Amino acid sequence: MAMSLSFTGYVLKNLRRRRLRTILTLSGIGMAVGAFVGLVGFSTAFEQQWMRIYSSSGTDFSVIQGSFLNTTLDDSATAKIRALPMVAQVSPTIFNLMDVTPDVNALVYGWNPNAFEFNSLKILAGQRVRNGQREVMLGDMLAQDLNKKPGDTLELQGTEFKVTAIYHAASTLEAAAIVMPLGQLQQLSGMDGKVSTIDVRLRPAPAGESQETYLKQAQAAIQAAIPGARAVPAAERASSNQFVKLAQTSAWGTSLLALLIGILGIANTMAMSVFERTREIGILRALGWKQWQVLAHIEVEAALLGLGGGMIGIGLGWCALCVLAALPQTASFFVANLQWPLLVKALGIAILAGLIAGALPAWRAGKLSPVDALRCD
Amino acid sequence: MSGPILEVRNLFKSYDDGRIEALRGVDLSIDAGEFVTISGHSGSGKSTLLHLLGGLDIPSSGSVLFRGALLGSAVNLDTYRSDHVGFVFQAFYLLPTLRAIENVQAPMLAARHHDGDRGQRAATLLREMGMEHRMDQQPSKLSAGERQRVAIARALANDPEILLADEPTGNLDSTNSARIMEILTGIQKSRGMTLIVVTHEDEIARAAPRHIRIHDGRIAS
Repeated sequence: MAMSLSFTGYVLKNLRRRRLRTILTLSGIGMAVGAFVGLVGFSTAFEQQWMRIYSSSGTDFSVIQGSFLNTTLDDSATAKIRALPMVAQVSPTIFNLMDVTPDVNALVYGWNPNAFEFNSLKILAGQRVRNGQREVMLGDMLAQDLNKKPGDTLELQGTEFKVTAIYHAASTLEAAAIVMPLGQLQQLSGMDGKVSTIDVRLRPAPAGESQETYLKQAQAAIQAAIPGARAVPAAERASSNQFVKLAQTSAWGTSLLALLIGILGIANTMAMSVFERTREIGILRALGWKQWQVLAHIEVEAALLGLGGGMIGIGLGWCALCVLAALPQTASFFVANLQWPLLVKALGIAILAGLIAGALPAWRAGKLSPVDALRCD
Repeated sequence: MSGPILEVRNLFKSYDDGRIEALRGVDLSIDAGEFVTISGHSGSGKSTLLHLLGGLDIPSSGSVLFRGALLGSAVNLDTYRSDHVGFVFQAFYLLPTLRAIENVQAPMLAARHHDGDRGQRAATLLREMGMEHRMDQQPSKLSAGERQRVAIARALANDPEILLADEPTGNLDSTNSARIMEILTGIQKSRGMTLIVVTHEDEIARAAPRHIRIHDGRIAS
């Protein structure tokens, strides 16, 4: 039986006809989408790792300084929060990013040795750090990279610390990190008497009171006790984290620029294609193709370029994430993974980019008079 | 025959802001099933008249009526071209990316023929044109005569009532010209279609029972 020609079949034949231009356009949009997947994927994975820290430690609120320029809190705020009736536990913390070797940098957490955050870590070898001692615990990922074990020493900013334990944590941001006594990190960072955040665990809500109301009351009480501070619910803390915000802003900014270049690439291809095929468009119109059918076939062609470029881009983005996850400079921040919402977003953006880029050439093609188009050489 | 299928009333067509007048008040009536040739020297307006009869262009003034309904208002031009008219051009105008059998199916995409039907119908039409062995060839691999036969099959794809041919033998040698005219007249008779052929060749012009001569945008005889 003879094969039937379909609308999509005709569009695909047109794309195959100009192979080199199609490949170049696919590469352009592929790189743009690849940048989007790589950068936004990185910032999303980074945010997830922060979220995992808060959820695994059972933190309800993180208390931070409310103003933009001053990002530290006075350590004395800890006692004021602890005194609130609904507060079960408080843990003042500092985190900082430090060079461990010329190639490797890692997050360093300063916790009190009795902090509840320790409960989320599983000590694989050795014992917990002690107050006032120059001691550190290493996450298993970092210990493996540095080839360290309990009893070894680690130099940080010119000071030697004894490795007391190797631990495992759910989040890469902890598994590839260093934990030391709060006082030691305050000294090392020049933050005596200051902390970055105070993590708070609440007592269970009283019977008959909704969890939502209880959390709002607790938040208001904490903020009233420490003027100028903000009590951020753990779920929001990950996304409002300055590192995460910076990563997200630069990821979207760079991706949008790349996508704009990709859109211009498709627009150029489609404009050239319509220009070269003016007579063919005239033939189609003479054969009875309606304006919307001519317009639709150009738009489908542009959308297919977007879709194809999007799929190539996802592959490139995944490769970029794997490279970032393997680099010593970035390995401690995230684990390479692609989530469905990001893939759907990437393909959606790629197809939309195609449709936007094809809109003007398609409109012009649809408006061509059949007889004028047929006269065109 | 069942009355006029096409009527033209006081038809004018000008180009270049009225500086060029291609048609200057043409009145014409063509019956359903009629075979008509239109001849005239180059620039006489014969192709312009054919384009207006086929709904490819719109008149500057005057009207073209299809079965008594005004083209462009009572009858949508796109629908008219896809459902009621088939075109055969001097330069064939086959789509270069498509094989012969796919070219014949191109008008069917506009008329929304059933999917399974398209390939089968295109094959039948090409067989009628004696092209059964060349169906899968690209237009670039076909001779001029073969291309025109594919173009005729394509013109018949949506089973139109009117077949319009603009210098259909203009790019062919005498043998192929005779063969194409034989095919066109054969189709007109067997299907009872209205066939309008524009030509500058006297022999072809005289082959029709009705011959219209155009001179300077007016009907001369």
